[in-house]
Amino acid sequence: MAHILVVEDEQPISDLITMNLKLVGHTYAKAYNGLEAADMLEQERADLILLDVMLPGLDGFAVMQRIAHLQIPVILITAKHALADRIKGFELGAEDYIIKPFEMLELLARINVVLRGNEQAVPAFVCDGVEVRFAERQVRVDQQAVDLTAREFELLEVLIRNRNIALSREKLLELAWGYDFAGDTRTVDVHIRQLRKKLGWEERIKTVFKLGYRLEVQV
Amino acid sequence: MRFWHKILLAVLALFIIALDVSVIMVMKKSWQLNMDSETRRAASEQTLIANNIFENLDSIRARGNTLTPVLLASVAQSYGDYYRSQGIGLELRENGRLIYPSPGGGKVDGQEEQTAEQTIKLSMPLPAPYQDLELIYSRDISGLYAQQQELNRFFVMINWIAGPVLALLLYLLIRSLTKPLKQLSESARTIAEGDYPNRVELHSRDEFGELAVHFNRMAAAVEQRMTELSDMAEEKQRMVDNLAHELRTPLTSMQGFAEFLTSANIGQEEQIQAGRYIWSETVRLKNLAFKLLDLSVLRHQPLLLSEVEVADLFETVSQTEEHKLQERGIPLEIDSSIPAVRGDADLLASFLVNLIENAVHASQPGSPIRLLAYEQKGEAVLEVRDSGSGMTAEQSQRAFEPFYRADPARSRLYGNAGLGLSLCRQIAEAHQARVELESVPGQGTVIRLILQLPNNSASYSITSRD
Repeated sequence: MAHILVVEDEQPISDLITMNLKLVGHTYAKAYNGLEAADMLEQERADLILLDVMLPGLDGFAVMQRIAHLQIPVILITAKHALADRIKGFELGAEDYIIKPFEMLELLARINVVLRGNEQAVPAFVCDGVEVRFAERQVRVDQQAVDLTAREFELLEVLIRNRNIALSREKLLELAWGYDFAGDTRTVDVHIRQLRKKLGWEERIKTVFKLGYRLEVQV
Repeated sequence: MRFWHKILLAVLALFIIALDVSVIMVMKKSWQLNMDSETRRAASEQTLIANNIFENLDSIRARGNTLTPVLLASVAQSYGDYYRSQGIGLELRENGRLIYPSPGGGKVDGQEEQTAEQTIKLSMPLPAPYQDLELIYSRDISGLYAQQQELNRFFVMINWIAGPVLALLLYLLIRSLTKPLKQLSESARTIAEGDYPNRVELHSRDEFGELAVHFNRMAAAVEQRMTELSDMAEEKQRMVDNLAHELRTPLTSMQGFAEFLTSANIGQEEQIQAGRYIWSETVRLKNLAFKLLDLSVLRHQPLLLSEVEVADLFETVSQTEEHKLQERGIPLEIDSSIPAVRGDADLLASFLVNLIENAVHASQPGSPIRLLAYEQKGEAVLEVRDSGSGMTAEQSQRAFEPFYRADPARSRLYGNAGLGLSLCRQIAEAHQARVELESVPGQGTVIRLILQLPNNSASYSITSRD
């Protein structure tokens, strides 16, 4: 889906982020300090940078200044809560800001928002003869257009963007219906059943015991 | 009212009063002296005239003439006419009856009355046998009055001129004298506004100069305190930032990997990797918590120092570190030339263990670490010496700061919280001992703890018991 550069000096966090990125289908590169990141960006293009602020050598803000001309969207990751830091980050052109400790789903959601805002053409998602065109909001099964309601499409998009990760019914409600939806979690079950039937994805969309649903796709 | 206003007004008023009082007194005295001399002159002149008239009358009588009032009047007139031109009036009375000037000359009378106040009037009887005749002498002293009036005018004029001139001079003088006060006040204001390095530039040797010296000393003390405070605040802030980082980083990993394990569709290999990370980050958090606890305990508990056998101490340390040293293939060389030091056995062991752990992480396999104890200038030295990667001057300087790591990537690999040397410094402080650090990049690091020898402390404890 997108090629993301992860700049984080903490090995565990760097691995955590990249393992999750891989899960939902992104490709990635890793840099462990600011200079390395700047050098890597000279060589290869990235669609997004996840940038830790506290880095050895060149800190996150300095990296942003150095790569400003490349116009790559940046999401800052930091342990610092200070308002001054956030303002500085935004002034330097950061798209978003996430504070440790964070939930992976939140980071993925923010990544999606930034990518959607910056991507010109979102590539279609293809799996098992199902083709999902995000731009046109169209779904085809074996070249045949399938009718999905708006809500079903939203739900499908959330599942695809967070594929291989189990999402609770509450989380799905929040992501596909929005925070202010006052519905029952059973609404989710009904829509999931519809999606499975329409796409023939009885096996793809797994019910995970005690957790919720997960779209399983080979990584 | 400002201080210089007060001084100016007070001095001006005082000066003018003093000047006026003294001038008035001088004028009064001079007036009195003039009057006295005029009166004396008048008296002697009158005596002279009286004598002359007496002689004239005597000679008239000798010629056989009787003294009729008309004759008397003519004699008096001859004198009167002569003296009138000199501003002197004469009267002659016989038993109180006016003989000269003739009692009809009102014009002369009127003149006399007009200037009655400005004349000296003396009367004396002529010598015997003419004691019935009284000569009245009146002298016009309006010139004296005029002179006095002139002096008065001059005095008032002087007052009008001298007052403003004096005020101006006083103003200039007082302004220049109180200038240091203004300077001091200005400096005090800027310092109060936060310009702590500001000083008063005043080099006079009077009280103001003294005040300026004390003021500058005070400003320096304030500045020093402020610097210390802001340094302390900065260090605290850095410590809090670092602590936040140290807590958030492992927590993020633990939370993230736990989430990953429960909800992600992953293979066994990734499950193991995630589990291992949760484990290692937990260890890291545990180490951090214990080190912080140690630091806090050290800070709040007084130490009981006793004699610590160096051999025992080194034995404990090498046993603790045996596993790690073997794992990395690093030999520990122990050499001790003193039997004992004075300190707390557990803390000294903790000190050495921390240093050896740092040395292990900095050293290549096979490169030995030396653990030494020796005497130097009457003090005991415990030394840990490695031939590892060493540190730059900047790294050495910050090495004792909490959470500072010379090589973050590598030390985190071992679950190191970056608190080891902070703890060492705290242990040294608790022993009132010094820590020395020497490090050369690529050649290795030497850290020494300089302690009291037990025999020094023995004499100390005896005297303290007395």
